[in-house]
This record gives sequence, C-alpha cells and structure tokens, in this order.
Amino acid sequence: MILRAILLLFLLFNALYAKPYVDKGTLKKITKKYKMFAKKRFYYLQITLDGVKNGTDMEKLQAVNEFYNGVRYSPDIKVYKKKDYWATPYEFLGKDAGDCEDYVIAKYFALIYLGVDSKKLYFTYVRSTKFKAPHMVLTYFKTPRSEPLILDNNNRRIFPASKRKDLIPIYNFNGDSLYKAGKSGTGKKLKKQKSHKKWDQLKENMKKKKI
Amino acid sequence: MTLFKQIAIILSIFLIIILSTVMVLNFSSANESVQKRLFEDAKNTASSLSLSLGSANGDIAMMSTMINANYDSGNYQFISLVDVDGLILYRRDSETKNLNVPDWFISLLNITAPIASANVSAGWSPIGLLNVQSDVSYAYEQLYTILNNLLISFAILAFIGLIVLNLLLHAILKPLKKVQLQAEAIARNEFIIQEKIPYTKEFKDVVLGMNNMVRKVKAMFDKGNEELKRQKEMEYIDPSTKLRNRKYLIDKLPEYLKIDAESKGGINIMIAFSGVIEANEKLGHRDVDKLFLTMATIFNTYSLNYKNSIVARMNGTEFSILLPECSDEAGLKIAEGIHESVTKVIAELDLCTEVTFISLGLYEYNYTQNIAQLLSRSDNALAQAKFSPSNIYLERAEDTTEVMGKDAWRMIINKAIARNGFSFMSYKAVDAKTKKEVHNALSISMNVDNEIYYFGQFMAPANQAGLGSSIYTKILDMMFMQPDMKLQSSTCSLRLPFDFLNSKDTYEHMNELFNAHAQKLPFKLIIEMPDKLVRQNSESMKLYKKLLDKHNIGLAIFEFIGESTDYQYLQDLRPTYIKGEKDYFLGQSEQGLSALKLITESIGIDLIATSVMDMETLHALREKDITIIQGRATEML
Repeated sequence: MILRAILLLFLLFNALYAKPYVDKGTLKKITKKYKMFAKKRFYYLQITLDGVKNGTDMEKLQAVNEFYNGVRYSPDIKVYKKKDYWATPYEFLGKDAGDCEDYVIAKYFALIYLGVDSKKLYFTYVRSTKFKAPHMVLTYFKTPRSEPLILDNNNRRIFPASKRKDLIPIYNFNGDSLYKAGKSGTGKKLKKQKSHKKWDQLKENMKKKKI
Repeated sequence: MTLFKQIAIILSIFLIIILSTVMVLNFSSANESVQKRLFEDAKNTASSLSLSLGSANGDIAMMSTMINANYDSGNYQFISLVDVDGLILYRRDSETKNLNVPDWFISLLNITAPIASANVSAGWSPIGLLNVQSDVSYAYEQLYTILNNLLISFAILAFIGLIVLNLLLHAILKPLKKVQLQAEAIARNEFIIQEKIPYTKEFKDVVLGMNNMVRKVKAMFDKGNEELKRQKEMEYIDPSTKLRNRKYLIDKLPEYLKIDAESKGGINIMIAFSGVIEANEKLGHRDVDKLFLTMATIFNTYSLNYKNSIVARMNGTEFSILLPECSDEAGLKIAEGIHESVTKVIAELDLCTEVTFISLGLYEYNYTQNIAQLLSRSDNALAQAKFSPSNIYLERAEDTTEVMGKDAWRMIINKAIARNGFSFMSYKAVDAKTKKEVHNALSISMNVDNEIYYFGQFMAPANQAGLGSSIYTKILDMMFMQPDMKLQSSTCSLRLPFDFLNSKDTYEHMNELFNAHAQKLPFKLIIEMPDKLVRQNSESMKLYKKLLDKHNIGLAIFEFIGESTDYQYLQDLRPTYIKGEKDYFLGQSEQGLSALKLITESIGIDLIATSVMDMETLHALREKDITIIQGRATEML
C-alpha cells in the first residue's frame, strides 16, 4: 500500500516537474516566429510524448512516427531555399513542413527524449523503387543483429525491413556512435572534432536551439 | 651605456619578439592545418571505404581485401573494422618508421592523428564501425620542413630588420652624436659652436642652449684676453720709449738666474742719464723725450745680436741692458759704442756733453746669483762709472770656486747616464683652501758611486758640458720604462726646459717612447713646458699637444709672466695649470690678475704660485685668490 502510494507520488511529480521536450524559452521564440498554431503543434507534441513516456519502445515508435507523419512533405528548396538542408525539430514542426531527412531527425530526437537508446536508432540512406529517388528513413534495431523497423514518412505505418521491398538500403549511420568512436582516439585532438558533416552541423544547430 | 645602445637593444628585443611571435603563430597554424588535413583524409577514406564495404554483404574476407587495398594505397596509421559488439573483425597497423626528423621535434609536438569513423552495413543490418587513422610521420616531416623554412626566413628577416634598425637609429640619433661631441668638447673647455641645428625639437633646444653657453664663455675669454693685453702694456711697457720697464725686468730675471738657465751668464749694463734738468731747460720736455726715444733705439740696436737680451727703462733717467752670453770684452765694446752714439746725439742737440751725458756700469753676472745681487752690483758698477773719466765701468763677478772641474763633472754625469743613476724626488703642490695635494712636482737627483748630487748641484755643470738634453732624455726613459711604483695612482708633474723641448729629436724620441710605454705608466703625468715655448703656439707645440692628448698626458705651463701679445694659445692648448713665480702674482695689479683669472677660469686652467716659502707670502697670495702653491710653505699647512 505504502509502496504504491510512493510510486504514485513519483509519477505525479514526474508528470508535473519533468523537463519538457521544448523548454519554455524556446517555445516562446517559436511562438513569436511561427505564431500560435506552431505553439499548439508543440503543445500536442508534448502531450503525445508525455502519453508514451512510460510506454514500451514500440509504443514510443508508433506515437512519434504517427505524430510527425502528420507534418506535410515539402522539399528543402521550397522551405529553406537550399538544395539540401537538415532542419532541427524546432524548424520542422515550426514550419510544419520538411523533406525525408527532417522527418528522420525529428523522430530521432523525440525518441531519444523518450529514453530510447541511441545505439538502436540509425539514419538510413535508401533508394525508393516506388519513387525512383534517394530517400532517408529512421531504422530501429531492437538488438544489434535483429531485423530493423522502418519509420518512413511515405508509408505511415511501421514495418519490419523485410516488408519494405520498395526500399533498397544503401548506407546506415548513427551519429552518436561515430562521435563516440572519434572521441576514443588518444593524444592531442583537433579543437572541433567532426565525424559527419551534416550530422555535425545539425548537432551544432540543436545546441543553439535553432528555430 | 650609450642611448644608442639602449634603444638598439630594446628595439632589437622588440623586433625579435615580434618575429618570434609571428613564427610561432605561423607554425601553430601550419601544425593545426596539417593535423586537420590528417583527419579530413582519414574521414574521406572512412566514408568511401564504408560504402564499399557495404557491397561485400558481410563477407569478412572480401572486406579485409578492400581494407588492405585502401591501406596499401595510402598513408595510414591503422584501419580497423569493429563489429556491433565491439569485437575487432579486421585491423591493419603500420610498422614503426624511421623519420627524418629529430627526436626532440617529435617529443615536442607529440601529434596523434584523430580517428575518423564510419558505420558499415550490409543491406539493412549494420556490420560495425570502420575506424581510420592517418599516418603521422608525413605530418612530422612536413611540419619539420615548415619549421626549418620558417627559421631561415626568420633569421633573414631578423638580420635585414636589425640592419635597417641600425641604419635608422644612426640617422635619427645623428644629431645626438653631434650634441654629445659638443658636450664633450665643453667638458674639455673647447669652444665648439654647432652650426647645423638639428630638426628634432628636443635636440634643437639642447644645441641652441649649448651654443649660447659656448658663445658666452668664449666672449668671457675674449674679454679677459683683451683686458690682459691692455694690462700687459700698462704693466711692462714704458709709454714714452716703448722699452720694457723695471717690473718686466724683475719678473723676467728668474728665467735667467736659475740652475738650468739657458745661458750661464752675461753682462748687465746699467745706464744713467745725467743732466736731464739742464736738457729740459734747454730743449724742453718734448725734445728730451725724443732724445730718450733715440737713445732707446741705440740701445736696441746694440743689443740686437744677443738672443734673449732685455732693454728696460728702470726709471726716468736710468736704463738697463741685459745681454746673456756676452763676454766682458764684448760688453765693454758695446758700452763704448753706446756712449759714443749717445754723446754724438747729445752734441747734435747743442747740449753740453760735460753736463749732459750717460754713464754705463757693466756687471758681469752669472746664473747663480739672485735678482737683488744682480741689481745691487749693477748699481754699484753704475756708481763707479759716474766717477770714471770714461763714464764706463766694468765690475766683474767674483770667481766662483768650483769644487770640481768641467771634465770631472762630465765624467760623473756620463757615468750616471750610462748607469741610470738618476732618481726622482717629489715636492707637493697644495691647494691652500682645501689643504689637499694637487700634484707632486718631480725633481731629479743623481747618484754616482754612492754619492748623491742634487739637481741644483749637477744641472748647471751638465748644461755647461752640453749634457742637459741627455739627462732629460734619460730621465724620461727611466720614468716610462722603469716607473717608480711609489708614485702609483698619483698625479706627477715633470718640468722640461725650453732647449730640450725645442729640439726636433726630443719630439721624435717622446713619440716613440710614449707609443711604447705610456699606456703602462702607473700614474697620471703632467709635463710642464716653459711659457716661452708654449706661447709661440708653433707647429711643434701643436704636435706636442696632440702627442700628449693621445697618451692622456697633461700639459702645463711654467715661468709664466703673461708677456704674450695674445692669449689665444691658452685656449688652443688648454694647459692643465699655469705656474708662475709668487712675485709675478703678487706684483700683478687687481685688473691684470682678474683679467688673467677670467681667461683661465673660462677654460678651466688652474693658477699655481711657486717659490712660496712662508705663510706671509701665502696669505698675500690668498688675498689675490691664488690658492694653489708650491714651495716650503706647503709644509706649514
């Protein structure tokens, strides 16, 4: 009885005082820049994330995948006037538009927020046979050798890789593992160690909370 | 340390710091760039190789071959493939290489190339992580070459920079050098006016100030010079006959009556003019003055052939003619000639030659006598002449009984010269005001066969035997070659006579002697030269001055009675001090002495009175502001 009461109090405290995905300051700036609807989108995102905070990895994957797949697809050249740009989740949801890399990035950081181990998540460069175009999806490996689950913005549902015959994997990468591998070198380091140009830039933007 | 050196050192340090900083920054930048390149290369290899490895579908053999191919074609420290569980699937490492760079350089830099990683996957599944590290030996060699090039460039730049800096500083500080030379000249009492005024304001102000000061001091000197010349005329010249006066004769006689006098003796003729009242009554004062003028011309004509002769008007009716090296026979002939000529002139003026006539008393003097003796004996001869029918009377000096004959002296002196039988004795010159010793005046004594002969004993016979110069040559040699160490660190003066200095051989000998030994002389030496020689300011005197300055030997004047017509020579030669007989200073008028002091003080020359024997004389001298003395009175201070 006492144990249940302590657990309940812990959950209540967690719900009230847990660090939000987007902090107040950033949210204020987002509201100022992208107006009220954007604020609401982030509000719903927080509700979505809070809803699965204590769920299984699969529940988290589904909730995040479903939420972000609600954002409309739009190429970088149209949204950012650049040929290829990796947007931060703030920019992506603020503008409510983005291309495949932006979905992957937003889903990745949301899942990390929810406590999914970064080692299980990979950015995967694929070729879409359906659209005959290069594409990127987020892959989830329950174990290092298990079959990955595909979180794709074209196909809204999560399928194991074997069910996605329309996608041909080209290259997997996990930014955190690259970064950690680079850090394992000994001796004098370059001031700003880099492992993957786009990833490094994204990490920098995330640090600055670019909106 | 000079200002030039100080600025040069500071700027050189500054330049070297700047160049060193630039070099260090350049090298650091190159170092970072090379290390960045190492990582970029590794990263590119990791990315491209990881994509290639993906096509091997997890075949380790195939992937190892691909890694080998890449590894062998480039410069890598290692390439490794680690599976998802962290186990090494394949790894290639480089062997230890011999680098063409020194060990200190490697330990100083200690470069470790960063490791670049890339994920490797086969289809959907990740295989592992590819790690690539570039080989650092290339970086070391490249950086070592850069360092060498930088050092060479730095050295060349520093060398050029220091030369340019040196030239610039010389150009900027050139006016300062001139200011310094002017300041040094002022310290040496030389009057140099800098005509070229520097552009730099600070230097300009200093130069203008110094020029102004030099002009004032020069004006002071010129004023003193003019005043002294005027005083000299009033002091020593008889205004109506333009002959020298009694004061001149008395001031000048010490030069003739001394042990090492140029001449051993001669004839002094005292001439008295009788019947001046009658002549005045008959001719009038003006014509009598003309008569005296004619007589003066006659006296000068007869004394012309005698070097260093003095014709002086002693009072209104008495004259004196000092004829050095004149025999009694020659003296009598001159007296007769003068008597005859003057009598003729008197007769031509229709004056009675029995009432108006001249009497000539001749006295055969020698150097051993004093002034009083010479004058009283001359007066005595004149008194005798007045009663003599021919109005001429010769009084011979008593025969001095010589202890030794000339040949005996010659032998002893030659022996002393051959055996270095001379030694120095010193007499102090003291400043009575401070009671401090100014210098030691050196005299010489002679020691032959255990017998000591003092300067007063042997110098006159030596001069008569023509050995004076040999003695002075010898004592100079002894002084420089075997210096008396008792005199170490003191200031000593040595008096050299006119004849010795006037010889060209003396200059040549001194030149050789000073060049060889002057540097080793353990005391400061001042050579005293007679005013008679110095005031000529001749070419040989200038050579002496140059020689003495070159060897840091002082120049001083003795036997000064201020008889020059121009004192410019004092400014040109700047003697350390001037020595004069006490009687000269005591006999000077206030105006005459203050003019002399104006000159000497403006160029830093001390005045020293010699032969000061008692405190009374010293007090009299001090009243005239002559404080440095030499003589027995120094022992009473």
